[in-house]
Amino acid sequence: MSEPAFTLKATGRLRRRQLVNQGMGALAAGAALLAVSVLAIVVISVGSRGAGSLNLAFFTQNQAQGFNPKGGGVLFAIVGSLVLVGIATLIALPLGVLVAIYVSELAPSRLARIARMALDITNGIPTIVIGIFVFTILVAAHGQSALAGSIALAIIMLPLIARATEEVLLLVPSSQREASLALGVSRWRTTVQVVVPSALGGILTGTTLAIARVAGETAPLLFLTYLGTSSTADANPLHPLQSLTLVIFSYSDQADPAYQSKAWAAAFVLMCFVLFTSLAAKLALARYRKKLGG
Amino acid sequence: MEAIKTKIEVTEKERLPVVSEREAVFEARDLAVYYGDQRAIDGVNLDIYQRLITAIIGPSGCGKSTFLRTLNRMNDLVPTASLTGQLRYRGIDLYGPGVDAVEVRRRVGMVFQKPNPFHSSIYDNVAYGLRILGMKRDLGERVEKALRAAALWDEVKDRLKDSALGLSGGQQQRLCIARAIAVEPEVVLFDEPASALDPISTSAIEDLMHELKRDYTLVIVTHNMQQAARVADMTAFFGLDVSPDGNRQGVLVEYDETEKIFTNPSDKRTEGYVTGRFG
Amino acid sequence: MRELYTSELEELEALLRDEGKLVDRAIRGALNVLERDDLELADELIAFDDEIDSRYLAIEQRIPSLLARQTPVAGELRLVLAILYINLHLERIADYCVTVAKLAKLAHGLPRDRAVLEALEEMGERCREMLGTGLEYFYARDFTDSQALIEMDRPIDRANRKLIDRLIALGPDESQREWAMRMMLASRCLERIGDHAVDIGEQAAYLVRGRFEEFTDASHKPPRATT
Repeated sequence: MSEPAFTLKATGRLRRRQLVNQGMGALAAGAALLAVSVLAIVVISVGSRGAGSLNLAFFTQNQAQGFNPKGGGVLFAIVGSLVLVGIATLIALPLGVLVAIYVSELAPSRLARIARMALDITNGIPTIVIGIFVFTILVAAHGQSALAGSIALAIIMLPLIARATEEVLLLVPSSQREASLALGVSRWRTTVQVVVPSALGGILTGTTLAIARVAGETAPLLFLTYLGTSSTADANPLHPLQSLTLVIFSYSDQADPAYQSKAWAAAFVLMCFVLFTSLAAKLALARYRKKLGG
Repeated sequence: MEAIKTKIEVTEKERLPVVSEREAVFEARDLAVYYGDQRAIDGVNLDIYQRLITAIIGPSGCGKSTFLRTLNRMNDLVPTASLTGQLRYRGIDLYGPGVDAVEVRRRVGMVFQKPNPFHSSIYDNVAYGLRILGMKRDLGERVEKALRAAALWDEVKDRLKDSALGLSGGQQQRLCIARAIAVEPEVVLFDEPASALDPISTSAIEDLMHELKRDYTLVIVTHNMQQAARVADMTAFFGLDVSPDGNRQGVLVEYDETEKIFTNPSDKRTEGYVTGRFG
Repeated sequence: MRELYTSELEELEALLRDEGKLVDRAIRGALNVLERDDLELADELIAFDDEIDSRYLAIEQRIPSLLARQTPVAGELRLVLAILYINLHLERIADYCVTVAKLAKLAHGLPRDRAVLEALEEMGERCREMLGTGLEYFYARDFTDSQALIEMDRPIDRANRKLIDRLIALGPDESQREWAMRMMLASRCLERIGDHAVDIGEQAAYLVRGRFEEFTDASHKPPRATT
């Protein structure tokens, strides 16, 4: 058997191409590693500084007072955050879904484009500006309250939920809509009974991500519910309530190391909440998809 | 020497649909459909007869699906669509003022090319229309009746709560048929109902159509003319007309009993299409 | 599957079966006319041909429609073609029967010869046998013995030769000669009937032995052993 007239081994330009391929591959892997490392570093550093101060008292007591306190916890800060985010979700979720339905299903295309642009712009408004806006409208006349805070958070959440919902609604194949319409079902009922249920998983994810986002908002709350930070033991949304983020803010401002370690602990709690929420959303979505036999 | 009379003589009369004696369910007069300024189909004059299977054949782009969708006002969903001429359903102008498209679609159902069951259980798929349209009495019975009529009952009766998406393609299409006939329409439109299915499922659907013909008027669009030959009583051939300014539009070339279309068509264009020469 | 198509094929074959029975009766009828020299019977036979014609036309009309609409292939295509040809042969046989009846009418009242009549009867009965056998092969889709059919042609040839000899030997009487001519033509008709009967058998063979050995139409029995 004689030698073939050509060879398939890498030579010259081919070799350079292979090197470039391998180089780019290594670079991309490195970037991914970096991204994951950042998350790991944040989690580890907050965890290591905050986890130590966690104890039962931390979760069951209200804020400590005075100089070098022994106990004190974030119970009412957690309560306050839950109330703030909860009410904000109650406002933003139905509104966001309705806006998305309008934009994707019902509006003529020009109006839809305008609405989408408005949502995008709202998304870009600095949250502190939103805080000032709500302050002017609500707080100036009626005083601070968690409700005002919720409204501000809802304004932040709205474009997130609306856009996520719209994307998922558009993903529902038109064949599903046609099937319903062809039976003699009206457009509105088709949307409610066929399109939205199909998109539920995506709506859920969008909402959860929006929750994770606003759970960490601090700036707008400064104007709207900061007064509660000084150890209000309350859950009434019409009063200013504590918030985990504001507690972190105010504690970390203090010189007393006892307070500072509590700030780390609170930050750790907040971070865990956000991580847990995001993971839970992803799992729920996966299970929902499987149920649909998707 | 007495003659032998056979049962053949009796069935001879049953075989050919006596078209002239049947009622027209749809009457199209000078119907033309436009998308914006583009004319998609032109000058359609035909009657669709009760409890017959009418097939619409023709090359791609000839407007078969467009015509089909005018029959149940599904073209309304296309913002730029408009039409001229008249389309009457049992004497009523389908596009006249005060006619509710939703009501029209209740009476004129549709089965689509790709099976599109809802992402819910088999039972819920069939019950969907019944629940929304207020036909909730004896729901279980109605669902069973529809599934039986679609020749699907025996295959699914023990797993009605299972997801519809677990069925095979042919079964899903029959489920869509069951869903459509559950709400008791008068007409069922089929838009290339078997083009996404394998030959055995196609055969099953064709046999099913022969059964459904007893109770419903069927109109089917198909690009497979052999299917039209096997299944339809009447066949309409839409040809493609290219006008001097390059505008392509579909025109009704010939509409007759299927037997005539496939053994001795009147128009040369029809002959050219069914023999596969061109079109 | 394809129930409409299946029942159309069954109908076609039923029509053919019908026609076959009628044609058999026509042959017997023609022989009776010769035997009894009965003018009324002859007219009845000629009128009877309309029955056969109606079956023939019914089949003729359905076949192009079936071919166009159902696009039969393989065994079913051969079946439809076999039916087409057998239909034609049956119709020709029936026409010959009418011719025999007409010849008998023309020969009415003329002096007859017993031996010739016996020979004609023999030929006719053999034709009926061949027709029946050929059709049986077709219905049963069984063609184990093609020789048998060709063997049946022999008695017909023998009877024919006997007949011709006899006719030649008939006397100088003019009316006798006229009768002889008519019977000569009648014998020719019977010979042709026999040929068509063999052709029918050949169609059965083609159907069974065609290039594709199996046919899958659910309405018919599966083919038995073929040579």
